[in-house]
Formats: sequence, C-alpha cells, structure tokens
Amino acid sequence: MTSLWANVFKSRQEAQDPVSALLKRIPVFDSLNARDLVRIEKILHEREYRPEERIFLQGDPGLGMYIIIEGNVEIVTEPGHHLLTVLHEGEFFGELALLDESPRTATAIAQSPCRLLCLVQSDLYDLIDRNPKLGVKILVQLARTIGERLKKTNEYVYELKKELKGPPFHE
Amino acid sequence: MNDAVSRWLRIFFALGLLVALFFLMSAIADLVRIMIISALLAYILDPLAVKLESRGMGRGVATLIIFSFVCAVLSVTLIILLPVLTDQLEAVQTGLTPDQVARNISGMDELISRKLAFLGIDNLDLAGKLEKALAGFSDWVFSHLLDVVSLFTHLVLVPFMVFFLLKDGREMKKQLVRIIPNRYFEFSMNLIAKLDWQFGNYLRGQFLDALIFGILSICTLWFLGVKYFLLIGIFAGLANLIPFLGPIAGATPAIIVSIIDTGGLALAGSVIMAFVVMKLIDDAIIQPIVVARSVNMHPLLVLLAVIIGGKFFGILGMLLSVPLTGFAKVALREGIANYRRYRLT
Repeated sequence: MTSLWANVFKSRQEAQDPVSALLKRIPVFDSLNARDLVRIEKILHEREYRPEERIFLQGDPGLGMYIIIEGNVEIVTEPGHHLLTVLHEGEFFGELALLDESPRTATAIAQSPCRLLCLVQSDLYDLIDRNPKLGVKILVQLARTIGERLKKTNEYVYELKKELKGPPFHE
Repeated sequence: MNDAVSRWLRIFFALGLLVALFFLMSAIADLVRIMIISALLAYILDPLAVKLESRGMGRGVATLIIFSFVCAVLSVTLIILLPVLTDQLEAVQTGLTPDQVARNISGMDELISRKLAFLGIDNLDLAGKLEKALAGFSDWVFSHLLDVVSLFTHLVLVPFMVFFLLKDGREMKKQLVRIIPNRYFEFSMNLIAKLDWQFGNYLRGQFLDALIFGILSICTLWFLGVKYFLLIGIFAGLANLIPFLGPIAGATPAIIVSIIDTGGLALAGSVIMAFVVMKLIDDAIIQPIVVARSVNMHPLLVLLAVIIGGKFFGILGMLLSVPLTGFAKVALREGIANYRRYRLT
C-alpha cells in the first residue's frame, strides 16, 4: 500500500529532489511543473571540475548552458584575463549557446571544486522534437531571460553614453 | 622536447589500442556483426519513436508500438511471400535440371562458340559452369542465410538488442558521456551532435532508397516475367545500398536468369533497359528526395570498403561496409574540423 501512495505522489517527491529544486530556481525552468522538471533532469549532464580547470574557452563554439550545483565559477575575458564576474551555486551561464553555435564570448574556469549541470543544445532540440509543448515553454522562458539581459544591457549602454557626454558645457 | 616525446607516445598508444580493438573485434566477429546490425536498425527506427513521443507517449510505449507494428508487417509479408520465396529458393537449388533450361544453355553455348570461333573459343561448357556456380550459390544460401542456429541467434538477439537500444539508447549515451574527460567534453558532445545529424540523415535516406528500389525491382521483374523475381528484386534493393557497384550487381542475376530461362537475349535486353530506367528514376527522383548529400564518397573508397567488408564479414560485410565507411568519413571530417575549432592542441 505504501508503494502505491509512493507512486501516486512520485512526481511531487521528484520535484523535491535537490536537482529539481535547483532547476526550479533557474528562470528558464521556473514555470515548469514537477514532471517537466524530471524530463529536463534526464537530459542534463552532470560534470565535476577541479579548481582552476577550464569549463570552456573564449572563442570555442557554443555548446550549451551550465548550471552550478556546487562551487564557484569565474568568468573572464581574454586577452588580459579580466575577471568579469564570479558565479555561485544556483546560478547559470552560457545560455546563449542554447540558441546558436556562435563562439563563446568569455572563458569559464572553476574557482573551487565544482559540480555543474550541462544542458546541451542538441539535447534541447531533441527534447523539443519529442515534447513540443515543453519545448515551447522552455524557449519562451529562454527568450524572456535573454530579453531581460538585453534590456539591462541597453540601460547600461544608455548610462555609459550619458556619462561619456558629461554635464552640459557652460561658459 | 619532452612534450614532443609524450605526444608521440600518446599517438603510439592510441594506435596500439586501435590495433588491439581491431583484433578483439575480429575475434568476436559474429557478436560485432549482430551489434552493428542492431545499432543501425535502432538508429533507423529512432525518428518513428520520436514522432510517437511527440504525441504524448512515453519512450517505452512508443518502442513497444513500433515493435508490434514492425513484427506485424514482417509477419504479414512473410505469410504472403514465404511460399513464393521458398519455391524460388528451391528452384534455384535444383539448378539447371529441367530439360528446357538445359537445352537453352546448350543453344547459347553453340551460338557463342559459332560466333566467336575466330577467337578460338569452342566447347565452353556453359551448362556445367553455371550448374557449378548455382549449386555453390544455393549451398551458400542454405549454409549461411538459412543456417538454423545462426538464423535463430539473429532472430532472437537482433530484435532484443534493437528493442533496448531504441528504448534506452539515450540513457546509454548519457552514461557513456560521463566517462569523457572534461577537457574533451564540449568537443565530443559537439562531434556527437554533428555525427548524429549528418550520418543519421544519410543512413535513413539510404535505407529508404534501398527499400523503394527493391520494391520497384520486384514489381518490374514480375511484370517482365523474369523467374525468381522476388529473390532478385530483394537482392537488387539490398545491392543498391552500395553506390556505383550496387546497381550492376543487382541487375546481373536478373540478366543471367533471363538468358538461361529463354535461351535468347530479348528478355535480357528488356531487363537491362528496365534497370537503366529504374536507376535513372532512382538518381533523378528518389535519391534527391530521400538521401542526404552530406556523405559523398569517392568510387574508389567505396570499392575498397566493399572489398575489405566482404573479406572480413562476407556479403553482409559488403553491405555494412558502405554505411560504416560513411560514418568513418563523417567522423574523421567533423573530428578534424572540431579539433581545430576547439583548439585541443
């Protein structure tokens, strides 16, 4: 009898497993239900990186998006190895590579021992073929996330332009 | 200096590993053959499973439905065609005993000897040679294709493997990817995706093309009244998997049978014309629609692959050699391109 109820509430329990809970915090997946999250989990590749091990290099063809389960990841630009940001548990990077294969715009390096989840573009397209409804949900959320980033970048560019122009000149 | 030495050592190690793998595969050739056939079949059937999944089915249910459908189609086909196929196989095995066929062969023998006497050709003994060749062929058919143990092993193992490869292939791939070192992870995933796209389209296209060509050959040979039309048609369809050589290999048995059967060249002429027209239709209409152009192979490469495949795995090896060479070609081309793009030096 216990196993029957365990099966009935399986999807709810699955939603509470750490990976599903982590996925729920990612904007691209936050509108998905427990069953959909399990489907996403099935196509993710879990990878472990040592400190200072590179995840990808600037200029490499984009493969997919990474989600940090554990550890910190440095995002740097070359040449000069300029540190752009440090990402922590629950954060994600490389989501643009889900849409096209254009070269990576920065290098990602593990700062500490890291456990990452990778969503590969070809696996996402395969999922879209197999489950178009779920695919549309993910793509809409992905478009929203990238749209938000574009909006923020526009605001940033506007502020920079304003700063460059400086205050109006008075004699 | 040390870097160069370690690089050469790694290359030698990789080559040694490849040679060891080759010998291991040769030692378990039967199992390798079954695995290759199963993997190719699962790969061909995968888009059907994806289509069913997109209609809301689970992978397991989709695999079961495809299996039931394929089994039903094969059973119906066998029930309808088995009596005809058995008759034709028996007729081939009996060889040239019927009087009329023997007379036709003697007639041909005389005709050729008379016409080509100036070349010093006489006493060809066509009947004897053909009888020997056909007996050899039928022996081969019965000892290889219809060998009960081998047939049973293939009939049980291949569907079993295809079922699980189709159902759990994605999970198996995921587990295999886990062992790839981080340094090569993105490179490998990118390569797998490209191979899947290019080779998948090529393989499914070739399979569909062979199927259409086979059906077309059976219908045409039946219409022309060629004996053993079913056997020859199936062979022509399979042979069409081999570019350049396949159509000739497919047409040859039909031409020989029609000459033997009628004792003249009229039917053989019609058969040649029919095969030329079918090949034109195949090249102009069928192939552009169904076969992906991503794997263009040089005729010499195809010839070498077919000879090597035949040497190691017989007729089945000849058929499998073409898709496997296509796979190796795409893997090599994309592997080198990816190696440069990912700067893995």
